[in-house]
Amino acid sequence: MRTQYRLGIDAGGTFTDFVLADLDGGVRLYKSPSTPEDGTKAIRAGLEQISADLGKSIEDIIAQCDLCINGTTVALNALIEKKGVKMGLLCTEGHEDSIEIRLGHKEEGYRYDSAYPPAQMLVPRHLRRPIKGRILADGSEKETLDERAIVEAAKYFRDEGVESVAVSFLWSVRNPEHERRAKALLEQELPGVFICTGSEVYPQVREYTRTSTTIINAYLSPVMARYVSKIDDFFASLGARYPVRYFQSNGGLAVGSAMRGRAVNAINSGPASAPQAGLFCAKPFGVDNIITVDMGGTSFDITLTREGQTNLNKNIDFLRYRIGVPMIQVETLGAGGGSIASVDDYGMLQVGPESAGANPGPVCYGKGGTRPTVTDANLVLGYLNPDAVLGGQITLDRAAAEKAIREHIAEPLGISVEKAAYGISMIVNLNMVNGIRRVSIERGYDPRDFALVCAGGAAGMHIAALAEEMGIKEVLIPKVASGLCAFGQTISDVKYNYLATNPMRLDVEADLSGLNSSFHELEDKGRTHLLGDGFNDADIGIERSVEMRYVGQIHECTVPVATGVIDQAGLEQLLACFHQRHEQLYSYAEPHNPVELVNLESTLTARVTKPAQPKITQSDGNEERALVGPRDMLFDDSGGWMSAPVYQGGLLRAGDCIQGPALIEEPTTTIVVRPGWKVQLEASNCYRLLINA
Amino acid sequence: MSSAATSSSVDPITLAVVRGALETTQREMTLTLEKTGRSSVFNLAHDYSNALFDHLPEMILQGQDIPIHLGSLIPAMKAIADYFGDDIHEGDVIYHNDPAYKGSHILDCCMYKPVFYRGELVFWTVCKGHLTDIGGPVPAGYNPEAKEIYAEGLRIPPVKLWEKGKRREDVINLLLTNMRARRDQEGDLNAQYGACRVGERNLLALLDKYGVKAVRDCIDELKHMADRHMRSLIGSIPDGVYSGEAQLEDAGHGFGTLTIQTRVEISGDEVHIAVQSPPQVPYFINSYEGNSMSGIYLGLMMFAEVPPPYNEGLYRCVTVDLGPKGTLCNAEEPAPHVNCTTTPMETLTDAVRKALEQAAPDRVAASWGHASGINIAGRDPRTGEEYVTMVLASIISGAGATKHMDGWHACGPLCCFGALSSGDVELLEYSYPIVIHRYGLVRDSGGAGFYRGGSGTVWEVEPLDHEMTVIGFGEGRQLPTLGAGGAVNGELDSKLGRLQIQRGDELEVHRENVMTTIQPGERAANINPGGGGFGNPMQRPQESVLNDVKNGLVSIEGAALDYGLVIDPNTLEINEAATTELGKRA
Repeated sequence: MRTQYRLGIDAGGTFTDFVLADLDGGVRLYKSPSTPEDGTKAIRAGLEQISADLGKSIEDIIAQCDLCINGTTVALNALIEKKGVKMGLLCTEGHEDSIEIRLGHKEEGYRYDSAYPPAQMLVPRHLRRPIKGRILADGSEKETLDERAIVEAAKYFRDEGVESVAVSFLWSVRNPEHERRAKALLEQELPGVFICTGSEVYPQVREYTRTSTTIINAYLSPVMARYVSKIDDFFASLGARYPVRYFQSNGGLAVGSAMRGRAVNAINSGPASAPQAGLFCAKPFGVDNIITVDMGGTSFDITLTREGQTNLNKNIDFLRYRIGVPMIQVETLGAGGGSIASVDDYGMLQVGPESAGANPGPVCYGKGGTRPTVTDANLVLGYLNPDAVLGGQITLDRAAAEKAIREHIAEPLGISVEKAAYGISMIVNLNMVNGIRRVSIERGYDPRDFALVCAGGAAGMHIAALAEEMGIKEVLIPKVASGLCAFGQTISDVKYNYLATNPMRLDVEADLSGLNSSFHELEDKGRTHLLGDGFNDADIGIERSVEMRYVGQIHECTVPVATGVIDQAGLEQLLACFHQRHEQLYSYAEPHNPVELVNLESTLTARVTKPAQPKITQSDGNEERALVGPRDMLFDDSGGWMSAPVYQGGLLRAGDCIQGPALIEEPTTTIVVRPGWKVQLEASNCYRLLINA
Repeated sequence: MSSAATSSSVDPITLAVVRGALETTQREMTLTLEKTGRSSVFNLAHDYSNALFDHLPEMILQGQDIPIHLGSLIPAMKAIADYFGDDIHEGDVIYHNDPAYKGSHILDCCMYKPVFYRGELVFWTVCKGHLTDIGGPVPAGYNPEAKEIYAEGLRIPPVKLWEKGKRREDVINLLLTNMRARRDQEGDLNAQYGACRVGERNLLALLDKYGVKAVRDCIDELKHMADRHMRSLIGSIPDGVYSGEAQLEDAGHGFGTLTIQTRVEISGDEVHIAVQSPPQVPYFINSYEGNSMSGIYLGLMMFAEVPPPYNEGLYRCVTVDLGPKGTLCNAEEPAPHVNCTTTPMETLTDAVRKALEQAAPDRVAASWGHASGINIAGRDPRTGEEYVTMVLASIISGAGATKHMDGWHACGPLCCFGALSSGDVELLEYSYPIVIHRYGLVRDSGGAGFYRGGSGTVWEVEPLDHEMTVIGFGEGRQLPTLGAGGAVNGELDSKLGRLQIQRGDELEVHRENVMTTIQPGERAANINPGGGGFGNPMQRPQESVLNDVKNGLVSIEGAALDYGLVIDPNTLEINEAATTELGKRA
């Protein structure tokens, strides 16, 4: 059967988004409530919608997909909620507290805060077992491995009922023998327990980062493995042609077999495709400075891309845990449609971070929720159509929303219901503005130099207000906004990062053959991996970089390297690049001082063909055709209701232009065009909002 | 409350952008130092601080770096500007470490770069960092035998290293020639220059975008905001005169125990802090004015819990009298002083903290472990080059418990307040010819209390293939960290720091600042104190004590002595009968 589609599934906290991209152009978007207890239920529900829509069986659709891609928050949620598995750590004797000492540092922002608690330990001290055996910085063995202690530790772990063990010894990155042996012994002693080692998970110098990354991986991988097995089996049973691809935090795809033991690589899988999708939407307008904001039911994710480049983090603190592996930089806060509004002890209105999630969801969904949410406020403000949302599948109960806002907010504060609803909207906007400030202003970027790209089902109702607050003049809302991350997945490539450490001075002892063979080894591994995934050599692209520093420095600059054999001339070029990069970053260089190379990285990408752009009818200049009718809405706290026209997005054409105040209803998103803004539907299937000059 | 009203000319978005840009500038300066520094003190331990000053010069932003540097930068910048007067030009770079010009101690070398915009002096970018050596008879600068500052190392009065953009190789050579491990010191000096330049680059971009006037208006407003904030906090304390005192340990030089007293007077939204300390002594624990200001400000900030950003506006409502010249906390030439950034600064901070505890007993946390650490030096057999460094990992002590919770483990010392970083063990072993055998939490070291103080740490080292010099500094080896809210220790010895040298079967235990050498096969273990406890330990919940015992943070003996709980060593359950018999718990 001919491949016709590509399917992207982004499982968020509240909804699971489905993007079915027609390879000949055309994108369809579906949603179903997430089912955290069993992800396949939500997927089946979504597939049933697709099946009904296309009039084809689920099996036929899956068989016509060249790829099925899944982005998941399984690992992330398990880390946030501390629902990883009970685990143990084997570490070098004398260093069992390294993970708790956390380099002796307290995070910035809390220097004098006496109520800021330390990060919760994922492995309590009694499950961190010291093992004698010492490798030195040069890779030599100073003390042999105490195998008996490992067996004893295994017994303790068995008695305690651990489900996974991380093994992280000092200098395993120079000599992994002790870790290998420890792993083999543990596998013997603890059948069925997941074991991973530092030298496998993050083979880079820095014991604290490596141990922490390995612990997080051990803590989450069994959870991830259970999830992946279920999803893989589910799609296999439907007759999928290729294994499911999973989205990783590095912005690329991976297969399930690569994910099972590497949950740490998928920790921020969901939002990591936003920059790619955002750039894709912004490209037709010549914009490459974008801030993407993704507002779903539970959380608000922000990414910043400047001149087409999105920051990739390595060795960062994420949710207060040090993670080494590369991840797209995402700022996340608890603000979404499901965020619960409440009045605190001081009598102040608060919104979030607590969320009603998918279950029970907002009060107006009528699924048992009793506490008012942002969505309830949006309904009362007139932004949501009580009769049709989410493709008409849920009818919203406005009276229930009003009642909840009255009881929980308006009466305690002694204000009207409308004012309370407006207040909820204003507070959640303020929270989101502060989040955007953190990625832009606080990093020295003026948000006014950026376009906001809208993602997530709830963002369209807030984004113009956010832009106004930040002084941003351009907002892009693609028709697929509510599933932008799922869309981003369908235009992403398969991507694996391979890391190695091979310290060498580049003046006296430059070991070019060692360097070349290190790269060769990494890329061989990657190539084998990708060929196994079903790609051809022609699909595979390689990007190399090395981390270099002046002898005596501890931190490195990343310098890109051309592929192919590195000869003396290549080395000279590398050195020149490094001096230049150092000067660029730090304002000076020391060209007369010796340089050393420390780490290598090869990123292997297997190109995936991109679906074609959709085609859309040109405007005839008469937007009236899409007009549904007027509705009363509230845009500010003056209490003045305005009657604003409501348009049906599906009937708008490329070039149609509408002045605010107005509202556009798309099947899965609602766009509030505030007074003072105008919106045009562009040929690329994207709404472009501009503030009136 | 202050009557200073919000300046209406400042656009709130521009204000937020300027604030963000200043913070980013400062952060990028810090990043430059960390990433490019050569010594582990810079690139791993973050023993440095970057600040921005305006033309006045008033501090307009200090990052959340080391509190030791927080206070001293303010008077030092003014002393530098005074010294050069109108002889300050575009392209100048000034260097300085001398406490006589309000520096902290001579190891903290500070670089000042005036930032000119269209010919006008608008800003200073300032970068202070702890060099690993400053010459003098003892590697790393801590000479316990020094009777005068002249015996401690090189004093650098304000001097230009760049003049109108030209690097003065002769002057730089003079400085570096006087220091050990020259290449490290040169690298660190370059890193400081890089930090100041990166700061300048960002500030010029900010001025290009908004112009001098708008930026200055924003800065004025930021200072006003800080002033209003601090005044509202001070205003919330009842008016009155409060006093506190704290002791310095007997350093074995015949001075006995010394006492520092403070008198804190609150009137309305202003505070006056007066210090009384004994005459200066011929030992390295004297503190000159700049450093003492740091001690005072830290005591105040611990109490105020002010969120960032920090600028000089915070201290407009604060006046300080350090007592007569020639005293321990207001030392003058030729007093030796190198230890002052830890002792007596932390003692002074404790004295301020105790006075504030009198003023507002429910708002003060326990003290943190004082710094007691080691410096190491030797010749690296791998390269034949000399190395010397302060081991910041060795001073990571326990944090004090607060009215909210147990103290953080391994977050001190008091003078650094969590801003240090101990540095990755592998990076330290890569940089120096050493094996670090142990870096862990110390059992029973956290102060007893309803909330337990955080545990102190032990750092144990062995030299590889060479002889290594080990030099102790600081205190916290005789007097335990001060608790608060009625905390009392039942067991004392494990709460204290010490230096242990293991030579074969022989174990030497030192509780004073010593200098010694060790050989391969021998080990030096530096143990530093835990944080103080908060509240009555006999009321600490049983399950908290049991959990600490299960995790090895409190011993069976410690549970009985500190918390009055008798625990069965086999079952790790509480022996109720024996606990009742012990009769310590209410």
